[in-house]
Formats: sequence, structure tokens, C-alpha cells
Amino acid sequence: MILTRRLVTAALVALPMSAFAQAPTGKLTIVTSFSKDVTGPFKAAFEKAYPGTTVDVQNRNTNAGVKFVEETKANNAVDLFWASAPDAFEVLKVKGLLEAYKAKAEGVPEKIGQFPIHDPEGFYSGFAVSGYGIMWNTRYVAAQKLPEPKEWQDLATAPYFDHVTMAAPSRSGTTHLTIEAILQTGGWDKGWDIVKGFSGNLRAVTDRSFGVPDAVNSGQVGYGIVIDFFGFSAQGAGFPVKFVYPSLSTIVPANIAVVKNAPNAPAAKAFIDFMLSEAGQAVLFDPKIRRLPVRTASYDKAPDGLPNPFKFPWVSNAKFDVDKSEKRFAPVDALYDQLITFQHDALKAATKAIHEADAAIAKKPNAEASKLVAEARALVAAMPVTEAEAASAEIVGAFKGGSAKEKAPRQAELEQKWATFAKEKYAAALAKAEAAVKAAK
Amino acid sequence: MTALIEFQPVDIRIEDVDLSFGTTHVLKDVNLAIEAGEFFAFLGPSGCGKTTLLRLIAGFNTAQRGRVLVGGDDVTHLPAWKRDVGMVFQSYALWPHMSVARNVAFGLEERKLPRDEIEARVDQALDIVNLKHLKARKPSQLSGGQQQRVALARTIAVRPKVLLLDEPLSNLDAKMRVQVRRELRELQQALRLTTIFVTHDQEEANTICDRIAVMQDGIIQQVGAPMTLYDAPANLFVANFLGTANIVSPVGETNGRLVLPGGVDIERPAQPGAKLVFRPQNARLTAPGASVATGRLRLPGEVVHREFLGATIRYGVKVDQVECLVDVPHQGGEAAFAVGARAAVDIDRARVLWLAA
Amino acid sequence: MSVQAATQSAFRAVVARPGQALVGLGVALFLAAFLIIPVITVMIAAFQPKGGTGFTLVNFQDFFATDLFRRSFWNSLYVSAMSVLVATVLALPLAYFTTRFDFRGAVIVQTMGVIPLIMPPFAGAVAMQLLFGRNGTVNLLLDDWFGFKIPFMEGLNGVVFVEALHYFPLILINLSTALRNIDRAMEEAAQNLGCSGFRLFRRIVFPLAMPGYVAGASLVFIKVFDDLATPLLLNVKDLLAPQAYLRITSVGLADPMGYVISVVLIVASLVAMYLSLLALKGKDYATVQRGGGGLAKRTMTRGDAVLAYGVIGLILVLTLAPHIGLLLLSFSTIWSFSPLPDGYTIAHYVQVFSDSGQYIVNTVLYAGLAALIDVIIGTAIAYLVLRAGVPGAKWLDYAATAALAVPGVVLGIGYLRTYFGVTLPSGQSLAAFWGMIVLALAIRRLPLALRACTAALQQVSASLEEAAESLGATKARTVRRIVLPLMTGGLAAGFVTSFATAAVELSATMMLVQSSEDAPLAYGLYVFMQSPAGRGAGAALGIIAVVIVGICTYISNRIVDGDMAAKAGAH
Repeated sequence: MILTRRLVTAALVALPMSAFAQAPTGKLTIVTSFSKDVTGPFKAAFEKAYPGTTVDVQNRNTNAGVKFVEETKANNAVDLFWASAPDAFEVLKVKGLLEAYKAKAEGVPEKIGQFPIHDPEGFYSGFAVSGYGIMWNTRYVAAQKLPEPKEWQDLATAPYFDHVTMAAPSRSGTTHLTIEAILQTGGWDKGWDIVKGFSGNLRAVTDRSFGVPDAVNSGQVGYGIVIDFFGFSAQGAGFPVKFVYPSLSTIVPANIAVVKNAPNAPAAKAFIDFMLSEAGQAVLFDPKIRRLPVRTASYDKAPDGLPNPFKFPWVSNAKFDVDKSEKRFAPVDALYDQLITFQHDALKAATKAIHEADAAIAKKPNAEASKLVAEARALVAAMPVTEAEAASAEIVGAFKGGSAKEKAPRQAELEQKWATFAKEKYAAALAKAEAAVKAAK
Repeated sequence: MTALIEFQPVDIRIEDVDLSFGTTHVLKDVNLAIEAGEFFAFLGPSGCGKTTLLRLIAGFNTAQRGRVLVGGDDVTHLPAWKRDVGMVFQSYALWPHMSVARNVAFGLEERKLPRDEIEARVDQALDIVNLKHLKARKPSQLSGGQQQRVALARTIAVRPKVLLLDEPLSNLDAKMRVQVRRELRELQQALRLTTIFVTHDQEEANTICDRIAVMQDGIIQQVGAPMTLYDAPANLFVANFLGTANIVSPVGETNGRLVLPGGVDIERPAQPGAKLVFRPQNARLTAPGASVATGRLRLPGEVVHREFLGATIRYGVKVDQVECLVDVPHQGGEAAFAVGARAAVDIDRARVLWLAA
Repeated sequence: MSVQAATQSAFRAVVARPGQALVGLGVALFLAAFLIIPVITVMIAAFQPKGGTGFTLVNFQDFFATDLFRRSFWNSLYVSAMSVLVATVLALPLAYFTTRFDFRGAVIVQTMGVIPLIMPPFAGAVAMQLLFGRNGTVNLLLDDWFGFKIPFMEGLNGVVFVEALHYFPLILINLSTALRNIDRAMEEAAQNLGCSGFRLFRRIVFPLAMPGYVAGASLVFIKVFDDLATPLLLNVKDLLAPQAYLRITSVGLADPMGYVISVVLIVASLVAMYLSLLALKGKDYATVQRGGGGLAKRTMTRGDAVLAYGVIGLILVLTLAPHIGLLLLSFSTIWSFSPLPDGYTIAHYVQVFSDSGQYIVNTVLYAGLAALIDVIIGTAIAYLVLRAGVPGAKWLDYAATAALAVPGVVLGIGYLRTYFGVTLPSGQSLAAFWGMIVLALAIRRLPLALRACTAALQQVSASLEEAAESLGATKARTVRRIVLPLMTGGLAAGFVTSFATAAVELSATMMLVQSSEDAPLAYGLYVFMQSPAGRGAGAALGIIAVVIVGICTYISNRIVDGDMAAKAGAH
């Protein structure tokens, strides 16, 4: 009864709106993971551009936001979902919780590098792009006499041991994309080698994206692997930090989407159009926001220090297969958690021993020691599954559940298997590296 | 003690009451009739069920079987607050957050009496216990005796049908106890209020109560006036619990007669298995050689200890393996027997009882 | 007694006391509607095959077959037990000196002692890191002066350190209440027999205060066992609660293991609660309050006083350090890799007061209402369990206590799932109504309030109630006129604990806030703490939360103290 009435009302409201393109009015409810620093200026600008509208912003972290929209779909009160992580939108789309809308926007290219800016099926639109990189606390680095990094591989070297932090890819969609980009660009085995290399140097793997800039800003940790605007806005707030894009980064869009059965769909669509307009894109240059527009022309008026990612030489070369990423999303997260996050002490111990062996060999070269170190590195880099296996129906099914065949392994079984694999390999690597130190002495 | 309150005395009946707490059988088939205006005592050692029985009447315990009638009304399933049964607690249970006057007014307020009547009745009740001048105090500022009187005033202020007193004297010092028990008796007589008094102290029960129910193991052993219980106990327990009793078991049989310690024989009593019981004051101590007077029984033995109690001298005399106590009135001068002397316990046959357990 | 007789007497008990049965039923309905049903709708996933339906225990088999979970389980036990130990060491001197001695400033100390419980989310964590972190004030200074650092906040022992600092007030509050009620004569009797000093405490005072201590200690144990924020902040993930949280909140995956761990958490909490009840069996020391004559306090010798003030001062400095850090942060411009901030400003407070007034009003309203509900329901349950003969009352206690172990996220999702479809007359969904936030806060804090109410009722002698009943007061009137006034102290303690912790609760609130006008302070704090520029403002908001709660605590401590003084009369 209520539902029918809602549908009828929605139809009545929607028809004249689209027919006469009347200006939207009323309350617009947005669920977002963005901080007030980001949402405030947009809210003010939109309300000014469309008098009669009020924007109500509900801050939730991405996960809570997705759950919220999912749990409340029966009586939806949310118009827009607005967040960074593209995977959150993918989840909402697959569950049928989004409404397709093609924004009326000009001057926005279809792709940045290999990555489409808007959802090709039109369920969500990119409004800004961001790249992942490394930020560091200059006071910390100066006090500890540490180097300034340029590439991911730098973070894997001995001086950085215990000075770096990063969010778990299973907890941060953008971190996930960074890992995925490294895996795709470097290849499965080489990619994991890089990832495990700098992960062994991590002080800790945090569960909160914002925990990383927080730790770097306050000087608890020297370096953080973060999305660019965390670095830029921390600089804007006066913290002694710097930011750099490694060449193996990926540039991804941050998105916004209309929620299915939105109570105020006209205003929601108007908001998206506004965001992608010249005026809306200019709001991104606010010193507290500092995000990169998707509208290329907007860069003409960019403030100093804000780069134009469309002109990065590596962007066009970066490979990114969205389908591949999509398919092995959960297995990659689980692999990272089981091999690195939950085995971090063992990985760190092995990494430390390898650094020590390297130092010993550098002082006094020794062929046997070098061989042992190489073996130790290989043990650390070893993967329990191949690239093909990770995307196999069996493993992907274990994470999806439901449809899996009777004999297929369950997620918990796979995780236990991978964890055991990692534990054994890291212990063996530690032994080899320690033997190498002895041999070199 | 002025301006007394008029009470309409009522009787209490306890019929076939059985009560258990879990697996513990506390009251066993208790039947009791307490007359209107009577000052009645439940007497017994701790754990005998006397307080449980009192709380059953007050409505704090529920029996598995049986009925409680107050003034002819069945109150068995009535909650405590509808019974109109006044209770004074062993601990007094004065509410520490209320003044004396508020404590006393409480029951009246619950009865929704008009303000001025409450005021008047509080004054009256406090007047009865001579505490009117302390009405503004908090309970913690009163002595034990004063607290006890406040508890009493609080109870009688509501003019209950009956008054229940749970060991009300146990928290007082010896001197206060004597004074308060006399006041209680006078008050009860003046009010003519049916009153039940729980105690383990026979002296308290004897001095103030009209009748006593002696209890043991959840069973009422005997009901009667104090003197009756003392003079004609129904069984060994009652005899021993009320006052001091010498209990002598027969040691053998000869020619159809029982043999007592000291080799004295005596005719077999009607009740089989009964023991010979006599009170210390119903015997005297005589020289070992003296002859047996008519109507008397003589048990020869040795004086093993002697206590001077003021009005009497108590001798302990060992007759074979049994020690008998004998109270001899003291009129001045030297004691007649020394410890270690031979003596015979000379008992008045008319006062000898044969009792079973 | 046979089963039939038992049922019969239970039936009779209900008939005899319809009022109590009704109250029991009301409480049961409340718990069912706002705790059990919402939780079950979520937890059911633990017993279903992944992504499917039907019943299975295979998930539990997986739980016990996984190294990570087994390790997490033992780590959780270790951390909880050690936290209880450390918290006891912190709480004992504070509770003992302020309750058993004529101690100047006792109310202040008691109030300050409760503050650590009010650790605003995120802001408190950042402040802790700035002080005790690897490059926090303490370690930077230590490194400068002596060339070493202390890993306060590293690994499992770091979690123990932070948890003990955070939760020791739970022991302090319960222990203090118990100590206040010990008859002075008990101590005097022991002194008379030649016992003094620490032996007196160990042999007489502490055993008598045991019910209060165990109540507090079991709360600390369970809170730590179920806490996820602190371990996650310290990046310790091999504990059960963080494992559950990480799995429940991962995007787009129906991973039953999160719910399996939640079930394990709930069961473990109930077992801990049950064990504490067992430990207290036969140790119900409710002393008859004869005018509260036992409340006299001892005086200390000068030397003892100096020592006592020294110890208490040290403990307070340590436990209040996070709040001192938060205060500094709220006034600081930039604070990064330095012992103290670069500069000071009041700009953050200006910002907070200009646009966050609503948060403060909402917080006081929500936390106040939630605490009120807690005290009412808590008293009802305590009364039904301890006094009334209503069958099954114990189960209400168990159910309410189980709330302690329900992760806030689970409760939040449960509310959405259960009540989103219910529409209010205004057309708004019931789950969107701000009252649901109040209910969620109330349910989450109920176990704390329940323990306080139970302890308070245990201290009221039953004969005080019976006296009222024999004078004609019904059960209900007796409760209102005798029991509640005598419980004031304990109820205030329960109210304060609920209020203080509800004021900074976020996990369940996060799911339920539907518009920023209805948001409480903790949510506002979260919003601020998500950007570098918001750190100072977030800290300012945190300080405001602490001040509000501190004032409320102080007032209620004054009430308790006045109440005690009134009961004790003039000395």
C-alpha cells in the first residue's frame, strides 16, 4: 500500500519535472564518506545556484554508507551516494541499488589512462580524479635522517624499515586499486614481490584510510601510502608534509551516483550536473579540498602546486583492466590480509633479516650469502596461487558463496591454507637470511 | 503513657501449614490457635522455624499447604500490605533516609489519611513510646532502645489487627531488655492487642507472655501458659528447653521394675522408653546414710561441683555416670556440702515426671 | 519439590504478584524488541552457509580450524585478564582512600577517576598517540634525554595499557560503592583482634567489598574482550573483536565468519558473567542498615596522608594524560613530531561553537534519555531478580548482560533491518526516528547500569522493604518510597556510567544517524576527524564532551555524598 503510493507519487513528481525542466526544489539527502571540508563548499555552492533546495549531508565511512543504503532500500530516503572508492559503487550497482544517469557535462574525457571516468553503463559518474602516492613528514624524515622516496620500490629498501604505514586494501578501496595497479602493471609475481617488499617495511597495516595521513601528520610514522588529496589537504592545513606520485601509480575517479528510488531524484540529478559544470569543478580547488577536476579545461585555473594528471607521462601507459580487477577483487584482498596483514610480524622479521644480510654482504661480499639472500627473497615473494587460480571460478566462488559446488573450498578454508603457506615461507626465509648473515661474517 | 488507642482484638488461626524452602522442610503440619488479645510467644532454638511462622502470618513467606486466618478472615493468599498485620523487625528496619516522624507517618500515608490526622496519630504513637521530643531526628541519631521504640510506634500507629514482634529485645543491653519487656507487657495489656512475640529466650517468654508455643524442627512441641509448660512439659525437649531439668535414664531392669543409677529401683512408668525427669529445686541434698522418707526417692552420689547463685546454691552430684543438679536455698551461713563429699539426691516423688523424647 | 509442584508454585507466584509479572513481561518485551530480535536478524548469518539459507554449523568448525581465530581467542583472553589486573592496581588505591578515610577532595578524586571512561572516539586516540605513541611527547623527551623509548602503545601489552587506563573507572565506581557500605565495625573488630594496615585490607575490607569488585572486574573483562576501537587504533588485529568488525564491515561480501566471531564473543561474555556470579555465590553481604552507623571514616596520619596523596596524584596524572593531550590538541595550531604543539589558538573552539551547537544539545538529550531508560530497566531487572518471585527473571539479567557483547555495528544493522520498514504516522521510517539512537545507546549501556543497580539493591536490606509492606505499602509503593530512595547512590552511579559512555558512543550511532540535525556529538567528532584541518576542532568537541560529562558526574557524586551524609546523620 505504502509502496504503491510512493511509486505513484514518484511518477507524478518525476513527470512534470522532466517535461518542463523545472528547477529542482526541496531537500536533497546525500550519504558520503567525504569530510565536511569537502562537502561544505559544494553544499553552499549548490544551494546558492538552486535557491529553494537544501542539502542534507550524512557522513558515513564508505562501508557503513554501502550497508546503510542496502539495509534501508525498502524505504529509501537517500538521493545521492558520494564517495571515493569505485568498488563501493560497483557493489551498489550489482545489487541494483543505483539508478542510471548520464550527466549532462561537457569537456570531460571518457577515460583517464585506461580507466573510464564514468561508469560505462552510466550508473555512476566521476567528478574528480585522484592518484595514489607517498606522503611523508618532513620533520620526522629530517630528525631520523631518512631519504625522500620516489618509487614504491624505494619503500622496500632497508632505510625505510618500520617507518611506513598503509591502509589494508580490504579496508580502503583506493588502496586496493593501487595494489591492483601494481599487480597489473608489474605482472602477478613481480607485482606481489613489490607489494610484499614494501609491506615488510610497514610499521603497521591500518584499517582506516584516514589513519594513514593521521599517523604521518602527527609524526608517529614517517611515510604513508595515501591518496593524493590527503597529502595536499594536510599541506593546506599547515602540516609539515610532502607528497609524491610514484610512476607505477594509478589515477582513478571519485564518484557520485543517484540512489534507486531517490525521493528527490530531480535535485539529485541537478546536483551531479552542477558538480561537473565549470562552476562545480572550480569548487574542487578550495584549499581544504584540493582535488583534481575531471574537466580538463578547469586546469587552466588550477592553483599552484596542483598537478594536471591528464598530462602525466605514465598515465596513458598505465595498464588497467577493469574487468580483471573486478573479477579477482575479493581474492586479492584476502590474499593481502592472509599473507601480509595477519602475518605481519613474521613478514617483518624475515624482511629485517634480509636487510641485515644485505648490509653484511655489502660490507663483505660473499657468494654463498648472496645465494641464501636470494633464496630468502624468493621465499618471501612466493605466492600460494597463480594469477589464473586467483580468478578461477572455484576461488572467486568461495568468496561469493551460495552458488559454489559441494566440493569447492569455503572462504575460511582457503584463508587458513594461505595463512599457513605464508607462515611457513616466512619462517624459512628468516632462517635463510639469518644463515646468510652468518655466512657473510 | 497517655491517650491510648482502642483496638478490637482478633484471634489468629494457623491450620495444617506445611512450608519448605527448596529441600528444607521448615514448617511441618503446624496448627495453632491464638486467642484475641492474647500475648503469645513462639519459643525455640534458632532454626526451629519460629521466625518463618511469624513471617508467614505477616505475609512474607508462602506456605505450600495450609491456611492462615486473622480475625476469622482467610489471609493465606493476601499480600503483606493488605493484611493489616503490624510487625516489628529484629533489626527494627528503620528507613535511614527518613526522620523519626516520617518513619512513623509512613503507614498512615499509605492509608491515605488526612494530613492533620496523620500528624495527630504520629504524635500519639510517639507519645505512647515517650519519644515525641525526638520526632525530627534521623534513626542514626538514636540509641538502640530509642530505635526499637520508634519501630514499635511506627507499627502501632497504623492500628494493626495484630502485632508481631521478631526478637525485639535481642539488640538491647541486659538492663534495657528488662525495662523494655515490662513496658511491652504493660503496653500490650493496655492496648489489648493480639501480639506474637518470637524469641529464643525462655525467660523473656515466661515473663511477658500469656501462652507460649515451644517449637523444635518445624514442629510445635507444646502450647500452654508458662507455668504449665514448666511444671508439666509434654516431652523431654520442652522440659529441657524451659528451665533446667535433670534427666535420668534407667540403667537396667529387675523383677519388672526399672533400675536407676545408684542402684535404686522404681516401678515401671506407663510410657515405654520414658526417662525420669526432675527439676533441681524439687530435690534436696541429704547425708549419705539418712533413711528414705515417704514420697521421696534417693539417689546416692558424690558432690562434684558447687556454684553459689545468691538465693540458692547449685550442687552437681554424680550418681554413677549421671550428674544431677540440685538447688538448695541459701539462708546464710556455710554451705552444707563440700566438693568431694558423699551425698544423696533426695527427690520429691510428686514432682517426678516420666517423659519421652 | 517435583517439577509439577515447581511449576505450580511458579504459577501461583505469578498470580500472587501480577504487578511484578507485568513489569517482568514489559522488560522482556523491551529486550526482545530492541536487543534480541534485531541481533538475531543479523546473527543468523553465522548459522547459514555462505550466501545461502538453511542451518549449518560448518562456520563454527571453520572458526576453530583457523589458526588466526584461535590465536585471536587466546590473545583476547590474555589482553582482557591483564587489563583487569592493571585496572585493579589503578582503581584500588583511589577507591580505598577516598571511601574509607576522611579524605579531603574525595569527591574531586572520584570525579576525576571517572573521566578516563569518557574517551571521545578518534580524538582520544589521536591524543593518546601524541603523548604515548612511538614519537609522542613522552618518547621524544625520553629519546632526547636518555636515548631510549618505551613502547607504551605497541602490541598486545600496548592494548592492555590503553584499555586499563580507559576502563579502570568501571572497577573504581563499583568498588567505591561497595566500600562505602561496609560496616565500620567490621574493620574495628579486625583492628581489635590485632589486624591492621594492608592485612586488614586484604583479609577484611577487600573480601567484604568483593561483590562490588567482581561486578566491576567482570565488566572490565567483557568490555576489553569486546572492544575493537582500541586494538584497531593500535593496529593490533589478532584479537577477536577487531576480527569480527573487520569482517562484518567489509564491503559487498557476505562473510559469515564475522557473525560467527560475534556469536563467540557473546557466548564468552555470558560465560564470564556466569563465572563471576558463581564466584559471588554465598557472598551476599547485604548488611542491615541500622541507620547507616557504619559509615564513619578513619583519619590518616600525616605521613600516610602524604603517601596517599602522592599515589593518587600519580595515578590521576597517568589516567588523565589522554585528556590533557586532548586539551592541548584542542588549543594547538599544528602538533607534529614535537613534544608540544607549535602554537596555540582558540580558533577551534570558535569554529565548534559557531556550527556544532546542535551536536551538544543532541548528545545531552540522547545520552540523558538513554541513561534514564537504563536506570529504570536496570532497577526493574535487579528487583525482579533479587526480590520478586517471578520465574525466569534471571534470564532477563542474562539477556541484558549479553548486550555487552553485541558489537555496535551489529545492533545498528539489526535496527535498520528490523525497523526500517515500519513507518511512523509522519511518513518517516521508524529506524530514522532519533529515538532509535536513544534506544540503541540505552541497550548498549544497559549492562553497565544493570550491574550498578543490582549492587545498589543488594545493599538495601530486605527487612526495610518488609517493614513498609507490613505497614500497608504495596510492592510498587514500597519500591517508590523505600527502595528507590535507598538506592539513590547506586542509581546515580549507574546513570553516570551510562550517560558518560553513551555521550561518546559511535559504533551503533554511526548506522542510525539519518540527518545531521539529529546527530550527536560523537558523530560530529567523527566528521571533523576525517580531515587534517578538522583535528583541532574535533579535539575541541571532544573536550566539550568531557566537560559536559565531567560536570554531570560531579553533580551526581555530590548527590551520592549528600545522600550518604544524610543517612549517616551528623557525626
